[in-house]
This record gives sequence, structure tokens and C-alpha cells, in this order.
Amino acid sequence: MNDNFPPPPSVFPYFRATQYACALSIYLLRNNSERKDLVAKLISLEATMSAGRKLFRLGNTINSIEAAKRTMRLSDRVLGLCLTAANINRALYFICDNALWARSVGLIRDIDKERWSLNASRCYFLSLVMHLTRDVYVVLQLMAQKVRDKHFRQKMDQHVSENPEVVDVVVPQLDAFLFVLLESLKSHPAVALDTLKNICDLFIPLDRLGIYQSNAGVVGFCGLMSSLIGILTLTHPELRIKP
Amino acid sequence: MDSWVRFNAQSQAKERVIRAAQYACTLLGYTLKKGGAAAELHKTISQLEAHMSLTRKLLRLGNSVEALEAAKRAIHLSDSVLRLCLTISHLNKAMYFACDNVLWAGKTGLISKLDQQKWTQRSFRYYLFALILNLTRDVYELRLLIESEERYRASRSPPSPSTTLPADSLSSSSSSPAAPATIALPVMSAWLCRRLHLLGMVLYNNPPLLLDLLKNSCDIFIPLDRLGIYPTGSGFVGACGLASSVLSILTIINPWLKLKP
Repeated sequence: MNDNFPPPPSVFPYFRATQYACALSIYLLRNNSERKDLVAKLISLEATMSAGRKLFRLGNTINSIEAAKRTMRLSDRVLGLCLTAANINRALYFICDNALWARSVGLIRDIDKERWSLNASRCYFLSLVMHLTRDVYVVLQLMAQKVRDKHFRQKMDQHVSENPEVVDVVVPQLDAFLFVLLESLKSHPAVALDTLKNICDLFIPLDRLGIYQSNAGVVGFCGLMSSLIGILTLTHPELRIKP
Repeated sequence: MDSWVRFNAQSQAKERVIRAAQYACTLLGYTLKKGGAAAELHKTISQLEAHMSLTRKLLRLGNSVEALEAAKRAIHLSDSVLRLCLTISHLNKAMYFACDNVLWAGKTGLISKLDQQKWTQRSFRYYLFALILNLTRDVYELRLLIESEERYRASRSPPSPSTTLPADSLSSSSSSPAAPATIALPVMSAWLCRRLHLLGMVLYNNPPLLLDLLKNSCDIFIPLDRLGIYPTGSGFVGACGLASSVLSILTIINPWLKLKP
């Protein structure tokens, strides 16, 4: 395929951000009796966004399977395993999502909506756990790399000598660990952003599956945060984690 | 499969696929009604069509600005006819998308008490003007290409004696009053055949122009039917919409098939 021009930008992350912004606003305004009209409009808008996004996601199963095929061939085995498992779970999530879409438009009638919705949340949860495992692995690798670096060790000794009172209060190993962790994250913002995004995303299935019941406001806020990070990585490709 | 991933990531490509599915539903609904299928199935298909139409409106929320940008670019074209056609066509498209956005807001409930019928008619009118201008541009480009092809042929081979009218030889012989009429018909059909052959050649050698012409011709039946100017029925509209969506998906997959500018 010969395309000299980059593909036009994708608007899908903006829809997710709008949907979760609506969810958050609905939660914040739920007890406000003057704004009942606005709340009704926001509920309607959120429902439209949610239904529309389900339709847009119809082709994403193949995307995830292709991604799984690519990650199987990675040189780093642990990374490949984590990402392949994440992508397979994501593909299963999309299959459940597609079935729910077909149920909602009336193409399929006799499927148990609740069961499929729970299965979708479970698959999504597993894929997020796999992504977080990858993040932790990458961060540990970066930290090990940093500790081996002589230049960095000098910096660490300098930090320890500058703050002796902190070192006495906090356990020295913990202080050193945190220092190395923060330095690694600062030097690799893509990994930090991806970790933050996955942690935010994790609250959504945790609430849905009942593992950690928060409220709709927390879910809306976390969803909005992760969508905004997603938009940021879209507009600044250097902030996107690779692979 | 890499091309599928890239295709899928573009919202414009997804919008075209959903458009194809929407008009396929229209066509399917028509055939089901003709075939006397169950009302339940027909209701499901029309609900699915409405759902796809609303979702497409959501995807098109930013297209008004894009059309204005395209109009700004079209002003700088060198050819005056192209400049006029394309600029006004893009402006009409921008108005169509603006009306479409208002309709989306009305259908979602953001704007209460919207006269949806009026705004639908308005949006289809702008769409019709844009399509007429696009077709004018296609015909103009076709004429230019035919003229240049004719000049190229004339320069390559001077007109041979065989192509001159056989009237010379016939007029010398004894002629009846009906002779000019009888020789004019085969002459005209030969001329028509030559013109059609030339047209076919030009279109065959310029697939982007052919695709654009076919696409606009198919598309024009949609607003003509919806505005009541030339009602053709939902089956024909569905078939035309499906055909033009498939053609535009082809131009997205193969960007060289897109007519430039």
C-alpha cells in the first residue's frame, strides 16, 4: 500500500473522554435539583456515546489478534508473554462487546446480557493486569539498568549525603529504592504515563466486578484521566510506550 | 492484515463502512417488505439503520471544519472552473455537515424542540447542491480529457481519405431526394460510435475520474429521493448508497484512486 500522506487523525479517544466526562458530571450533579434538565441531557449524551462506541469497536477483535501475533515474535520473552496474553484477553473482551452490541440493537435476542457483560469486564480486567505486569517488568529493568550505571550511583550517593535526616527517619533501603524508582520514571515518561493509565483504567472493571466497589464518580474520573492520557499519547507519539 | 489495522484506525474509513452497512440495511428492508417478511424483522432492520445513521452523525461532528479547510485550499487552484466548482461544493458540504451536527444534537436530546423534518430537508438541499457541483466538475474534467485525446489523435495520424464523408462519391452519382437523409444516419451513428469509443477510452485510462463520476451519479439519487424531486423508492436508494459507499471505501484503501485536487 503506497500512502505518502499520514492517515487522518482518529477521533475515537475523544469520544471515550467525552463519555467519562459525562459520567463524572452526572455523578457530581446528581443531587442538584436545579440542574435536572442538564443531567437528563448528559445521561442521553452518555448513552449515545456508549452505543456509538460499541458500534465503532466492531472491527477491533481483528486488531487485537494481529497485535497478539506481532507480540508473540518479540525478542524479550517475558515482555512477549505479557503483551500476547494482554492482547488475547483484549480480543476476547471485544468479542463479548460485539455480542452485547448485537443484543442491544436486537440482532441477537437470546443471550444473557448480564453474563456476557460480566465476562467482558473479566477479560478487560485480565488484559489490564497483564499490561500492568509489563509496566512493572519494564520499570524493574530500568531500575536495574540505572543502578548499574556508575554516573547514576554518584548521583545517588550525593542524594544520600545531602539528606541525612531523611535517611535516618525513613529506612535507607526504601529511600534509595524510591529514589531509583522516581529517577527511572522521570527519565522514561512513556512508561510512567502507561502505568498511570492502566491503574486508572483498572478501577472500571474492579467496580463492575464488585472486587473493589467505588462509586460512579470515581469510575468516571478514572475513565476520564485514562482517556486524557490516551489523547496525550496520540498527539505526542514520543510519549507512547513501545512496543 | 497490516493494511486492515491502518484502515480501521481511521475514523473516516469506519464511517464509510458504517454507511455501506446502513444502505445495505435500507436495501434489505425494502426486499424484506417486498418479500412479505415478518414485521418484527423489518422493525429490527429499520432500528439498526437508525442506530447506524445516528452513530455516523456522531463520527461526522468535525467534518464541517474539514470541509471549510478544503474550501480554503480550493481557492488557490489555477483552473478557474475547477476553482469555482470545488470551492462552492466544499462550502455546501460544510453547510450540510453543520445541519447534520444540529440534527445529531436534536436527536440526542441536547437541543430540545428541534424541527427535525425542516433541518433534514435543509441538509439534503445542501448535499444536493454539492453533488451537482461535483458532477459538473467531473463532466468538465472529462471534456478536457476528451479534447486533449482528440488533439493527440489528430496530431498522431492526419485524417485519411477513408474517414471523409462518403457523400462525395455518392453525390456524383445519380441521387434521389431521399439520398442525403439515408447517408446522414450511418454517418451520425459512426460519429456517435467514435465519440462513445473516445469517452470509453478516456474513462478507462483515468480510473479516479471514472470512480468519482460513478460515485457522484449514485449519490445524487439519495437527496433527489429524500427531497421528493425524483422519488425512486427505498430499494433503489439503498442500492445506490451501497454502491457509492463501496466505491469510496476503494478510494480510501487505494489513495491513488482518489481524484485530485
